[in-house]
Amino acid sequence: MTVGLVLVLVVVAAYLAAHVAFDWLGRKHLIVSGAEYLLLGILLGPRVAGVLTPETVESLAPVTTLALGWIGAVVGVQFLLPEMVKVPSIAYRVALVESFLTFALVFLAETFAIAWLYETSLVEAALPAAALAGIGTASSAAAVEIGARRLGEGGVEVTQLRVSAMVNAVFAVTAFGLLASIWHTPVIVLGRPLTPTEWMTITLGIGVVGGLLFHLFVGDERHAERLFVSLGGGVILVSGAASYAGLSPLLSALVFGAILVNTSRNRDEIVAALTRVERPLYFVLLVFAGAAWRPSARAWVLPVLLFLAVRAAAKIGGARFAGWANGLAPVLGKDWGRALVGQGGLALAIALNYVYQDGGTLPYFVFTAAIASVLLTDFVSARLVHSVLDPLLARRRAATEAGGD
Amino acid sequence: MRRVIILALLFGGMSLILPLGGGQSSPALLTFGFLILAAYTSGELAVSLRLPRIIGYLLAGAVFGPSVLGVVGEGAREQLAPVSSLAIALIAFLAGAELRWQEVRDRGRTILRILVSELGLTFVLSFALIFALREYVPFLRGAPMATVIAFCVLFSSIVIIHSPAVTMALLTETGARGPVARTTLGVVLVSDVVVVLLFSGALALAQALVPPVGTDAPTVSAARVGWEIGGAVVVGAALGAVIALYLRFVRRELALFAIIVAFFGAEIARLAHTETLLTLLTAGFAAENLSAEAHGAALRHAMERSAAPVFVVFFALAGAGIALADVAAVWVLLIPIVAVRMAGIWAGSWLGARWAGVHRAEGRYVWMGLVSQAGVAIGLARVVSEVYPNRGGQLATLFLAVLAINQTLGPILFRIALARAGELAPEGRAAGTAEDEEDAAPEPAATVAGQAPDRSPA
Repeated sequence: MTVGLVLVLVVVAAYLAAHVAFDWLGRKHLIVSGAEYLLLGILLGPRVAGVLTPETVESLAPVTTLALGWIGAVVGVQFLLPEMVKVPSIAYRVALVESFLTFALVFLAETFAIAWLYETSLVEAALPAAALAGIGTASSAAAVEIGARRLGEGGVEVTQLRVSAMVNAVFAVTAFGLLASIWHTPVIVLGRPLTPTEWMTITLGIGVVGGLLFHLFVGDERHAERLFVSLGGGVILVSGAASYAGLSPLLSALVFGAILVNTSRNRDEIVAALTRVERPLYFVLLVFAGAAWRPSARAWVLPVLLFLAVRAAAKIGGARFAGWANGLAPVLGKDWGRALVGQGGLALAIALNYVYQDGGTLPYFVFTAAIASVLLTDFVSARLVHSVLDPLLARRRAATEAGGD
Repeated sequence: MRRVIILALLFGGMSLILPLGGGQSSPALLTFGFLILAAYTSGELAVSLRLPRIIGYLLAGAVFGPSVLGVVGEGAREQLAPVSSLAIALIAFLAGAELRWQEVRDRGRTILRILVSELGLTFVLSFALIFALREYVPFLRGAPMATVIAFCVLFSSIVIIHSPAVTMALLTETGARGPVARTTLGVVLVSDVVVVLLFSGALALAQALVPPVGTDAPTVSAARVGWEIGGAVVVGAALGAVIALYLRFVRRELALFAIIVAFFGAEIARLAHTETLLTLLTAGFAAENLSAEAHGAALRHAMERSAAPVFVVFFALAGAGIALADVAAVWVLLIPIVAVRMAGIWAGSWLGARWAGVHRAEGRYVWMGLVSQAGVAIGLARVVSEVYPNRGGQLATLFLAVLAINQTLGPILFRIALARAGELAPEGRAAGTAEDEEDAAPEPAATVAGQAPDRSPA
């Protein structure tokens, strides 16, 4: 099957998923769909049916990079400062503490586990462990929204979960971007290799310049088509530049998206255009991620199971500590971190980015761990959100009624 | 000024980023994003200088391409070849969708007569010129008469081709729908098919006169050519019928559907070994004429919107493919070839219009829309260089230099033609129906499909 036909079929499947399966499954069965497209990719990939050959997947790498960049930009546009300042700062503190603790716990546990299981030094184990920690920090915003939508209520609890999901995403993407800068393969520029700080500056700079170019390009134009061309061109340029330089397209595009949403007069149109294309691209990414998967050459079952367990424990424990340390334990409860166990597409995006990154060690082990985590948590994440919010909201309702009496 | 700053920033950014890539990094996506923004901006600069937008796209490609600044390298150009294929597919579909059956019946005779006269005269004149200048032409100098005749026939059969891409881009940009615009489009579309047939015959003749060296040279057979053309109509009609069904019963996500149709159609044509342009053209024609008018229009508009960045990059890549050094090396030959070709087109169009007994505007101005060359012509030149690596390569080089000139002059001339025929309002927006300037004053500017004057070509 030719590359073009494959791409057509994948896009059609992704469209059907986005517009038919996604909403229906989420509404009816509280399932955050996407895992089946991952499985579809694995089934079509070289490991099983061989429809998507490694060469085909390789040749479609620019499409994957674009999908990564698009997802990064979608994360970035959540950072609308005027809306963010309406949320009490304590929510952000709690979210940051939880993110940091999750990252640190997963990183430490995986560093020692990888060093022990694969008989490597701690330094060598640190890179895949850090990648896993970044992946583990991400949680599913979609699950939070589906759970919250079903309950039909706002409030402190839902706000905290939304903020936490957002901060988790930014933390994960930023951590991975930093990782890509630190472990970048040496490139000689002006007689010396660039330092990690310089690589990180370049990553952020790509996003900033992209945002500036977008504004210069669009000017005062409000015509939808021109906006879309500007937006598409900007995301493609930023993703392509970061990928070409061996950096993280997710982080550069996140910066690009954040700048766009905070400086553009057309922010509603921009957000609408980004989210409209995001879902089909996300499912295309899932299929290619599945096709790109191959089992790690080394034993991987135990480290993957360890990752799943450590991550879940870190999420719940880190969230509990964060809530307690900021005096929100009575409001959020002890186990509100369960609602953040769902991984979502960003985790896969980061994992796929790691696979494509030069110099990454144990890429397929990291990728397998991410796939396993996404597959397992996708089916239950919205229900977990439900299980956390239900008692909290019921308690609040009871308190309100008691106060009314 | 803003646009100049954008171009400077883009160039500066690329200059900083390009040295940072490792050996295995592919610049395809980066180049694609760069070309979208740079070429789009150049197009706007061109419009501000009262030139067609695609001139800006072509110039952006030429300036930033391998010949001048080298921002777009040869490797990136090759990796972006699928974009060009997609653009050609979109252009062909849109061109077919522009034609209504009634209009084909009304204009068919006019188009055929202009086509026969114009192609015939241009072919004869081009052949005569190249034959007369054979001692000065690199691939004919000192060659035996059989070789001279064979390569003169080959060169003439390629040089008469037109450009549906440029024609469609101009018509989409300006929204022109008058007699000159429609006749030009009709001639260009039909000529594409005719030239492919003519080229196949010319190649067969050349291979008979000058057998190619080696066994890998592609051979042409009547059956193969017959299937390429006839099969394209069959496959295209079937595809068009499916599209019409989708428009009738589903009619959702037309922008995405449009891209999928183009991609899928090109793949089907490739797998079925039919002529891609004709397949998509037929599909567009069938979809338009089998659907309700509103549905067909909705798909066309969605396709034009989706295709905007693709067209921009397509023309930029075409510009990047212009080897300025090669053009400079053969400039002495270029001027007479370009001039004689234009003279043949002009005289042939005028004769054909008189033969068909049509409106004066068509006789006077259609030829200006037939000067452009792109796309398919490059493919044919490549075929010749594959069959005859040595002389064919030199022929292709000379032809591509001619194409570079025609590619630049053609859009300018076509725009002038539309303006003089009164099919462009002063602001560059389309008139609803064109009036000949000798018979009536041009209609006041009326929007066609609500297009803004500085819209992108889609």
